[in-house]
Amino acid sequence: MATETLKSDTGAGGTSVIRRVLLDNGALSALVVLVVAMSLLSGDFLTTQNLLNVGVQAAVTAILAFGVTFVIVSAGIDLSVGSVAALSATVLAWSATSAGVPVVLAVVLAIVTGIACGFVNGALISYGKLPPFIATLAMLSIARGLSLVISQGSPIAFPDSVSRLGDTLGGWLPVPVLVMIAMGLVTALILGRTFIGRSMYAIGGNEEAARLSGLRVKRQKIVIYALSGLFAAVAGIVLASRLVSAQPQAAQGYELDAIAAVVIGGASLAGGVGKASGTLIGALILAVLRNGLNLLSVSAFWQQVVIGVVIALAVLLDTLRRKAGSGAASSAGTAPGAPGSGRRGALKFAGAALAVALVVGAVSYFNSGSSGSTKKIGMSLSTLNNPFFVQMKEGAQAEAEKAGIDLTVTDAQNDASQQANQLQNFTSSGVSSIIVNPVDSDAVGPGVRSANKADIPVIAADRGVNKADTATLVASDNVAGGKLAADALADKLGGKGSIVILQGTAGTSASRERGAGFAEGLKAYPDIKVVAKQPADFDRTKGLDVMTNLIQSHPGVTGVFAENDEMALGAAKALGSKAGKSVSVVGFDGTPDGLKAVEAGTLYASVAQQPAELGKIAVRNAVKAAKDEKVASTVKVPVKVVTRENVADFS
Amino acid sequence: MTAPEEQPTTAPDELLRIEGLRKTFPGVVALDNVDFDLRRGEVHVLLGENGAGKSTLIKMLSGAYRPDHGRILAEGREVRIDGAQDAERLGIATIYQEFNLVPDLTVAENIYLGRQPRRYGLVDHRRMRQDAAELLRRVGVDVRPDAKVRELGIARLQMVEIAKALSLDARVLIMDEPTAVLTSEEVDKLFAIVRQLREDGVGIVFITHHLEEIAALGDRVTVLRDGRSIDQVPASTPEDELVQLMVGRSIEQQYPRERPDTGDALLSVRGLTRDGVFHDISFDVHAGEVVGLAGLVGAGRTEVARAVFGADPYDAGTVDVRGERLARHDVPAAMSAGIGLVPEDRKGQGLVLDASVQENLGLVTLRSATRSGLVDLKGQRTAAARIAKQLGVRMSGIGQHVRTLSGGNQQKVVIGKWLLADTRVLILDEPTRGIDVGAKVEIYQLINELTASGHAVLMISSDLPEVLGMSDRVLVMAQGRIAGELPAEEATQDAVMALAVSTPTPPHAHPAPKNEEEGPRGH
Repeated sequence: MATETLKSDTGAGGTSVIRRVLLDNGALSALVVLVVAMSLLSGDFLTTQNLLNVGVQAAVTAILAFGVTFVIVSAGIDLSVGSVAALSATVLAWSATSAGVPVVLAVVLAIVTGIACGFVNGALISYGKLPPFIATLAMLSIARGLSLVISQGSPIAFPDSVSRLGDTLGGWLPVPVLVMIAMGLVTALILGRTFIGRSMYAIGGNEEAARLSGLRVKRQKIVIYALSGLFAAVAGIVLASRLVSAQPQAAQGYELDAIAAVVIGGASLAGGVGKASGTLIGALILAVLRNGLNLLSVSAFWQQVVIGVVIALAVLLDTLRRKAGSGAASSAGTAPGAPGSGRRGALKFAGAALAVALVVGAVSYFNSGSSGSTKKIGMSLSTLNNPFFVQMKEGAQAEAEKAGIDLTVTDAQNDASQQANQLQNFTSSGVSSIIVNPVDSDAVGPGVRSANKADIPVIAADRGVNKADTATLVASDNVAGGKLAADALADKLGGKGSIVILQGTAGTSASRERGAGFAEGLKAYPDIKVVAKQPADFDRTKGLDVMTNLIQSHPGVTGVFAENDEMALGAAKALGSKAGKSVSVVGFDGTPDGLKAVEAGTLYASVAQQPAELGKIAVRNAVKAAKDEKVASTVKVPVKVVTRENVADFS
Repeated sequence: MTAPEEQPTTAPDELLRIEGLRKTFPGVVALDNVDFDLRRGEVHVLLGENGAGKSTLIKMLSGAYRPDHGRILAEGREVRIDGAQDAERLGIATIYQEFNLVPDLTVAENIYLGRQPRRYGLVDHRRMRQDAAELLRRVGVDVRPDAKVRELGIARLQMVEIAKALSLDARVLIMDEPTAVLTSEEVDKLFAIVRQLREDGVGIVFITHHLEEIAALGDRVTVLRDGRSIDQVPASTPEDELVQLMVGRSIEQQYPRERPDTGDALLSVRGLTRDGVFHDISFDVHAGEVVGLAGLVGAGRTEVARAVFGADPYDAGTVDVRGERLARHDVPAAMSAGIGLVPEDRKGQGLVLDASVQENLGLVTLRSATRSGLVDLKGQRTAAARIAKQLGVRMSGIGQHVRTLSGGNQQKVVIGKWLLADTRVLILDEPTRGIDVGAKVEIYQLINELTASGHAVLMISSDLPEVLGMSDRVLVMAQGRIAGELPAEEATQDAVMALAVSTPTPPHAHPAPKNEEEGPRGH
């Protein structure tokens, strides 16, 4: 297309070159619009440090997306890259630590793992004749499961020598950015110059024509998916080295970010079209958005809305550009695809660009906190998908308002690397202190260390931070809470019976600690048997489903311990009229819904933490720490068993 | 085919009139100052080379495009056709070359798609089936209303499209090359239906590249050239005059075959069999020779060609190229032995439509142009430019997407990619289908050049005059077997057709192969 555009464009000169490049690449113009909008809206955006941050934050998505580009250009899809990335990182960490394999060999093993997953995808598609969507969906689940099996659900520390991949060169140039650029160049080389790359376009454009032109399409597809697996492995290693730990739950949902990046970059899901440069731009758009919205203190909930709108607008922009560019070229038999981008096309284009800017601007205007003159505190929560953390957030906001402080709350969506990004953004925008509720205590270490380096005090909330300095830890004791829950349930059951345990999301510290505390407490009651122990991911619906299944196999259960109230409520729902009568359910957290159920009798007890109190105390300590006042190294927020008798004191 | 009856000279009433129509696309004037009219109960043929503007014209009548200038009058009133709904309201129905049918719905559902008869808000299946059966009976096609469209052959699909048009109560029926993919028997059937419709007072706009059909079916002919309506002549105008009007020059000879001396056998096929599809196929093709493979659609010609090329597997038999045995079902092996296939479905199997001329030309040579993983792009570009020039591909540059080329130029690209690969035996499957007269002759010239330089050509074609005009030998297939072989001098239309409809007896007492009246063509 490029050559034709050159021909049809009559106006020469410097400005028209820029105009042409932008008109020719919708994604690039969207990126430019975004960068300009962000620079105007936030003074912290256009600094070298922040731009490097954006690069680091784009790296993992970009590397995954490069691999996915191969697949999409050949008219396939790969949903497994996020899981494969996590599996490769887990294999590396496990073999280097637990299995004692030399680090170099461990890296090779990790890469081979990625390639093997891609190979299986390709074989299922080529020879098993599975649709790519199905084959890679299966691999998404298999790879995730294997990484949990290998790691037994817990993060594994990453070998130090490999973790340098997450560091900086010369103290300022981040290695992930270098890896991203290198992989991007490799992608461009593969797509543009190699046999397999050129074959991808032919296979994606018309598979049958490619086959009848002598391309061994089946074998090529295996290579294509193996390449995608290889890139996923590299992305997984970069991700884990940033966090200095391999997380079995890492990179969840990243496949969708990667696909979005590829499509924003101008590739067609129908195949035959796509470029490495476009994919890089797509990944940068996503990273600039997340970074900018952090800097602008846009509410965590609105961020997701804005990201969705911008993805739609960016692709729309590209579609409009194409329409404006090619006219109705396919119409008349001889009409050459001469794009004579009319004035109307350009207008529409400008309109769409304006819309992007307006959306970002409006949302940040309505959401941004008060003026910059007051003290700024950043708070990164592990998730806002759970009432406990929402209460923590509300407590913190109430306290901040009272103290006249500008508090920015971000939601890491249970993703350790997103949390690392948020801490990085807080650090570079110069907040006076940071409150972090870690997704994972090990993985949050590097982010906190760089805040330490910038002399910004960090307050850990609810969960601790390993291998980095925190001014204070504000937490309720999960292990003690687990013990209390065991005592309460055992008392109610009279020291004997068979019980079921609903576990939280595998690999989270809350699940591990509460589970450990409960097991510890249960040791005192040898007549209580745990007949089943199944994960329900802290989720009410899953709690309902899992409990429904367990009732089938264990009808004689008399007690249930759920590692949070949400799952307990799901279990109570599954038990129906039995809940509170023949089966006692004990939850954890003391959320409003949980307390209501305790009052109604469907839950026997909940171990109440006081999340709002926790949030308040965290902010109070953050303010003190920012003023260099002394703070206690740990602040314990009381934990209590709530039953029907004392529920009135808590609600 | 019967000769046209004496046409009524009076024009009772006019259904449609187009005056001074103009349509431009960026950089191209597709139509300029086009006049056309259609009367009740006539077949008005639109004639023109590919790219002359026929498709653009009918797309404006069906509401796909809007004219820039000019008027469209329906029964004397000026109308605007802004979309398919407008066309439907005016009683204009269009049957495109690519059918608009949903493969997994039934015939009845397709006919009434979007307008299913309803009772209490639910689709009234019984009434829909009954109405559809009535329409199908009127069209004279033996298809159950609840058959899945996927199961039907091309000829029947076309009848379903006609039934659909009738259900819309169409007064104007536009048919875009309806005979391009039909066998001559099916063409006769179609003509009978068209004549019936004409008697019922429907006005029919008929597009065809087969000149002999004009005299057989048409009343008047409007010739388009380079986007202009050149002339309007009666359908009885001699073919050579029509050709001259169409191309603006006279074509000396339609089939300029020059027969060089033949050499050794380049391709030898022995006892090739694929159970239920073709049986015991044996033949040779020599250097310098054009062997025609004739037969009805569904006789197994395309299937044999694909098996020889390695695109499909076979159960028994051998394929040798220059004395070397070819591996079964292995396209790259066939390719490196020097066989090339120009498939019948140019767009679906021959080309990557959204890739450039250069990329398409370089597809076959991609591997040989690769050194240690890297493709020699510069060499590819030079080679592509050279071959495109040699074949006279009309394009704005080798970067142009092949989707925007005309059919003839697309076909040159498909052939060109094999020439670049130094192919010795070229299998051409329907090489000139849907290609205009001028481009056809260019392709015939190309075949001459190939055989003159010692290449061998196996040509499958449903266009009988083409087979007779270009082949040095004609093999006729019927029901999956070779029914006979005719040297060029003995090959006449009658002789070929007699073999094509025969029932060849297997040498051994095999059960007769399945007789699929309208077998699937290729894939």
